Amino acid sequence: MSIEPITGCYLTITAGGARRRIYVEEAGQGRPVICLHTAGADSRQWRHLMNDTAITASNRLIAFDMPWHGKSLPPEGFETQEYLLTTEAYIETILAVIEGLGLDRPVLAGCSMGGRIALQLAALHPEKFSGFIAIEASDFQSAWYDIDWFHRPDAHGGEMGAALVSANISPFAPETERWNTLWMFMQSGPGVFRGDLSFYTRDDSLVARLPSIDTSRTPVHIIAGAYDLTCTPEDAERTAKAIPGATLAVMDELGHFPMSEHPEGFRPFFIEALDKMPSAAAAAA
Amino acid sequence: MNAREAQVIETFNQIQSALRETPHLLRLGRLFSETVLIETGGNEVYLTFEKGQLVSVAEGPSRKTPWRFALRTDAEALEEFWQARPAPGFHDIFGLVKIGRGRIDGDILSLVKNLRFFKEVMALGRKSEELAA
Repeated sequence: MSIEPITGCYLTITAGGARRRIYVEEAGQGRPVICLHTAGADSRQWRHLMNDTAITASNRLIAFDMPWHGKSLPPEGFETQEYLLTTEAYIETILAVIEGLGLDRPVLAGCSMGGRIALQLAALHPEKFSGFIAIEASDFQSAWYDIDWFHRPDAHGGEMGAALVSANISPFAPETERWNTLWMFMQSGPGVFRGDLSFYTRDDSLVARLPSIDTSRTPVHIIAGAYDLTCTPEDAERTAKAIPGATLAVMDELGHFPMSEHPEGFRPFFIEALDKMPSAAAAAA
Repeated sequence: MNAREAQVIETFNQIQSALRETPHLLRLGRLFSETVLIETGGNEVYLTFEKGQLVSVAEGPSRKTPWRFALRTDAEALEEFWQARPAPGFHDIFGLVKIGRGRIDGDILSLVKNLRFFKEVMALGRKSEELAA
């Protein structure tokens, strides 16, 4: 029997002009690190790192479920809405969560769409953060699939979504974690993965903003897995080159969900990334 | 047909046997009754499924055999796909497409609706981890 050190709570914020009840988990103490999940999944992707005492000894890892995901309910009236995530709504939600939790310049670590929005925040709101870890993140890619596949009345979007994203998981990933990772996609609500992918595959507003990111104020470290078909190492390299001073690490044996699909393989890359970020004391100065 | 092409046929015959012994895939494929064309170079193999069972592995070419969707690739790419730990891109049928070693034609929605089943059937030809070590 064991009890994990992860604790959870609900936070109510205002975003998009309406109340949003957000589920937040955290573990550790010290420098705050906001951890953003991928499209079509939730904060459970970060549970391995949140149970890693070597990391949580000096880092307060905080992961939350975006509205419509995990334990964060969709907004009132969702049944008549089409869920389509936008850059503006995503940024507003993240900033509201940080304010709601009273965090002072956290590090922002995001994966996939979380990595994309981390780079947007590095360009648009660097003063709110002390550094950015952008995992499986790039400037822009159009989809290599039809996102409408994932919201149809005649097929199970979760099963299709999971089967599709399995293409992004490395054959080196342990089978248990491969399937735990896919389970979150199988659980995704109707149209949610499609709505996230709309942001990820159609909003190219980041491209022109990349050169404006000032890594001397807030470092940017990009991490990419070789088995990621969606954000390839080439995509990540192109993006890193467009950000003066950004650093890049390529993981030869990992895919698009490294913290979830292969936590042991990802661990050293995440520790390296944290080491590149300012310490809590430096961030406060 | 060269040795690589012959090995493709042999692997699909092994997949046919393995599928009979894989109850969870037979369950996942219980609504899948279609013929799938696998083309490697100039060679064709028709996989005919009935309610998840792979009832026929037939060599082509055949103009009389209708198929629902097709995976067109090459024997060398499939050989790499069937390694226990394939190189990036070779690890998934969509990866083959992404790296320019494959093309999927026909009723793609039929494939996507049955994607987990079809990808796991294809992966039955994969070598075991022990052989990869």
